[in-house]
Amino acid sequence: MTRASAILALVALALVAVGMVILSSASPVQGGAMADFRLVQRQAVYLVLGLVAAVVASRIDYHHWQALAVPLAVFCLILLGLVLIPGVGVEVKGSRRWLAVAAGVRLQPSEPAKFACIAVLAWWMTRAQRRLDRWGPGLLVPFGILGLFCGLVILEPDFGTTALIGTVGLLIMVVAGARWRMVVPPVLVGGVGFAWLIARDEVRYRRFMAFLHPEQHADTAGYQVLQALYAFVVGGPFGVGLGNSIQKRWYLPEAHTDFIFAILAEELGLVGSFGVCLLYLVFFVNGIRIALRTPDLFGRLLAFGIVMMVTVQAAFNIAVVTGSVPTKGLALPLISYGGSSLVTTLAMCGVLYNLARQGEMDRIRQRPRARKSARNTRV
Amino acid sequence: MIHERYFGRGFLVVSASLVVWGALGAKLFSLHLGDNEDLRERARRMHQVQREVKAPRGRITDRTGTILAMDLVTQDVIADPMVIQDRGQVPFVSFHAARLLDLDRAALDSRLSRPGRRFEYVSRHVPRDRAEMVRDLDLVGLRFEPQLTRHYPLGHLASHVVGFTNLEGVGSLGVEQALDPRLRPVSGLVHLIRDGRGREVPGQRLVNLPERSGASVELTLDATIQHMVEQALDRGMEDFNARGAWAVVLSVRTGEVLAMASRPGFDLNRFRASSPEERMNRVIGYTYEPGSTFKAATLALALDHGVVRPDDVFFCEHGRWFYGGRSLRDYSPHGDLTVADIIQKSSNIGTAKVLLRLGPERLYQGLLGFGVARPTGIRLPAEESGVLAPPAGWSGISLTRIAIGHETTVTALQIATMMNAIANDGLVVRPQILRRVVDDAGRELERFEPELAGRAIRPDTAALMRHLLARVTEPGGTATRARVPGYRVAGKTGTAQKVIDGRYSDRLNIASFVGFLPVDRPEVTIAVVLDEPGPVHRTGGRVAAPLFAQIAEPLMRYLDVVPDPEPATASARAVRPPGAGW
Repeated sequence: MTRASAILALVALALVAVGMVILSSASPVQGGAMADFRLVQRQAVYLVLGLVAAVVASRIDYHHWQALAVPLAVFCLILLGLVLIPGVGVEVKGSRRWLAVAAGVRLQPSEPAKFACIAVLAWWMTRAQRRLDRWGPGLLVPFGILGLFCGLVILEPDFGTTALIGTVGLLIMVVAGARWRMVVPPVLVGGVGFAWLIARDEVRYRRFMAFLHPEQHADTAGYQVLQALYAFVVGGPFGVGLGNSIQKRWYLPEAHTDFIFAILAEELGLVGSFGVCLLYLVFFVNGIRIALRTPDLFGRLLAFGIVMMVTVQAAFNIAVVTGSVPTKGLALPLISYGGSSLVTTLAMCGVLYNLARQGEMDRIRQRPRARKSARNTRV
Repeated sequence: MIHERYFGRGFLVVSASLVVWGALGAKLFSLHLGDNEDLRERARRMHQVQREVKAPRGRITDRTGTILAMDLVTQDVIADPMVIQDRGQVPFVSFHAARLLDLDRAALDSRLSRPGRRFEYVSRHVPRDRAEMVRDLDLVGLRFEPQLTRHYPLGHLASHVVGFTNLEGVGSLGVEQALDPRLRPVSGLVHLIRDGRGREVPGQRLVNLPERSGASVELTLDATIQHMVEQALDRGMEDFNARGAWAVVLSVRTGEVLAMASRPGFDLNRFRASSPEERMNRVIGYTYEPGSTFKAATLALALDHGVVRPDDVFFCEHGRWFYGGRSLRDYSPHGDLTVADIIQKSSNIGTAKVLLRLGPERLYQGLLGFGVARPTGIRLPAEESGVLAPPAGWSGISLTRIAIGHETTVTALQIATMMNAIANDGLVVRPQILRRVVDDAGRELERFEPELAGRAIRPDTAALMRHLLARVTEPGGTATRARVPGYRVAGKTGTAQKVIDGRYSDRLNIASFVGFLPVDRPEVTIAVVLDEPGPVHRTGGRVAAPLFAQIAEPLMRYLDVVPDPEPATASARAVRPPGAGW
């Protein structure tokens, strides 16, 4: 059987490559004058950084993340807090999501926070395996951790990332064995609360109404989704050809970031868009395989969290762009323009690669299954 | 899945994920391949625009290629008031736009302040350099659209002939009106792809219908001759304090109009500022009693039919003759005069007596043969025909009055055509103003050849008349002021009292001179008419004849016509040309 690590590397690189190609097509238009490839150049720099991060992460024994999880989480929470301070956080289009690191370089702390949240939850759920029956360790602590992350992100405000971290966090808790009776009621309450926040927030509310009736909001909130739908329809089976998208020419806002999938669909057609979906599906199945082969619980939860973080975000993004769910500002991982997202996602892939390699080593050494379960509960 | 205990949960999560991905895949299929004609149509409408591509209207040139009318590329300056208001820049934009485009600032300010508007012309047909100055300021909410504007490089010159187009681009006067279908361009239609900001996406143009420029029209006019004529008319208007003045120059053998001018005139580039009075082409549009100039035709007819000979003598009643119960007067009294002298002295009584021998029917038919009192057929709008009643409607004295150019009205062009027939061996050629029509690639679409309208008199009569008319400009004649150094001039003066309130005015005249030169080998026929000259001089010989000379003199040089031999010898053999058998 093909090695999971190789598949992982190939799929991740393929997605990154597709991203650079489509960005090259959309960037000259979004950047302004023709033949202006500033966005591609910046993304290329982040790609190099991301690949370095991936290689470094793949060389770090994932067990170290168990010890690093808490400091990393604290560090990320501090960054998320700093973002909210006016003058420190950079505000773009009404949201304060960025930290100015240097001239022209901005860091989006919610991106590394995604990984920190996965790591710290995996750490806790592993550590509290035998105490999950109790309300404190079984619900309050993991919910507290999740609440801290989600709370800070929702204040930016960034509803998309909040929902993503919340969803992935809950999934980690569920597969780690959190009790249904403890998890379900607060989730229901949280869902209602989230809906209330949406209803209260005018932008979000209009987006939701526009999702239900796109035609009525064609020139306002539904505009973006409608423009994206045009791209799919115009693309047809084989697309209009690379570089030939019309929708990228000032019709589709955020054509290089959140809605890049629509441009891909227009230029490459069903072949391109379905192909990218297949790549994410391979990433998902392969990632689950890696998780299953990881010998210890922390590693499994870590692998599961990373896989879910990447694929849930991808599914979310594609669902938004195809008009299947209300608009959420979420990037398409590994493809959309955005430095923090690219570097973080590639780093997570590096961690996943390390998990895959260690799993493969385990199988090669033919370790007895008993040893594995013994190691599972070691910590 | 994590702990064997919770494998079911993992299975649940993985299954749910696969379901979600499956659903997304299905959604992609339905979007890309499904029946989305409505969305596809809406996208097409959004991306594609039909745009009219304007082509320039044809040019009007003179016979040498000098451009009299052409389309220039200008710019329309268009504002998006809403954008300007949103940026709070209305005062700033209107200040600078008004300053550079010579507009009223307050008016522009209020037009840009109207709420809810997305489109407002700031100024149309702005010359390119001006538009460039505005563009350089980078004012918010302004855009520029190329536009074609009719321009008349020589402005005043031949304005009545060239004519103008109205604001809708339809020819409304002169050749612009007469040849509008030829000059008019055909707009092209392109489908182009536009981006989300309304600009064209380069390299995506689908041409459906190519545009076609209008054909260009070449006139028979010569701008240089036209200029000479207009200069002379302007001087005449001033010198003789005239109400109007007009003139036409014909090429004798072809009937081509080398110049046609009318005063008062106007600037074609400012046609909106002109009055109907100024826009009237008097050469073809003003009818008047020709007076004595008519005698050239009536006496020629009498000679042609052999009812008189040049040396037949008629008693001229010493200036006052009662006939048919009315008196007929001469300008100056004469006793016995030969027919030749009747022409030279322009005796009304003599002419009337000569024509009584010819009779009404032959006079009427002969005059029609000369082409008077009916449209010449020149291809210009608003040509008047004039009036000449058939003999059935004549009174007892009509013949004696028509003989001297009364009881009939004509245009100057008809008189010029009439005189041209005498210069042209008796052949009447139709005057023409159009030379050819050429498309924008230079291919000739239509060529206008000289057109013969008929014969008015026999060639020998014409030759005789040329010599009799030459004596008019010689000492003792009425038009010595029409003489041109180096060339013998033939012609006839005319001074007709204007009819005011049904009665002949004794103060207000139409003074005219029509003639040709050189006498023995005529090149050009020129008619000059002045309306209400005064107060000192009012006769054709005093006011129109000198203008004729002012036009003819430089014209002979310009046309490089070889001067006549010494006037003394020419004069000696004037009355009796060799070979004439009378």
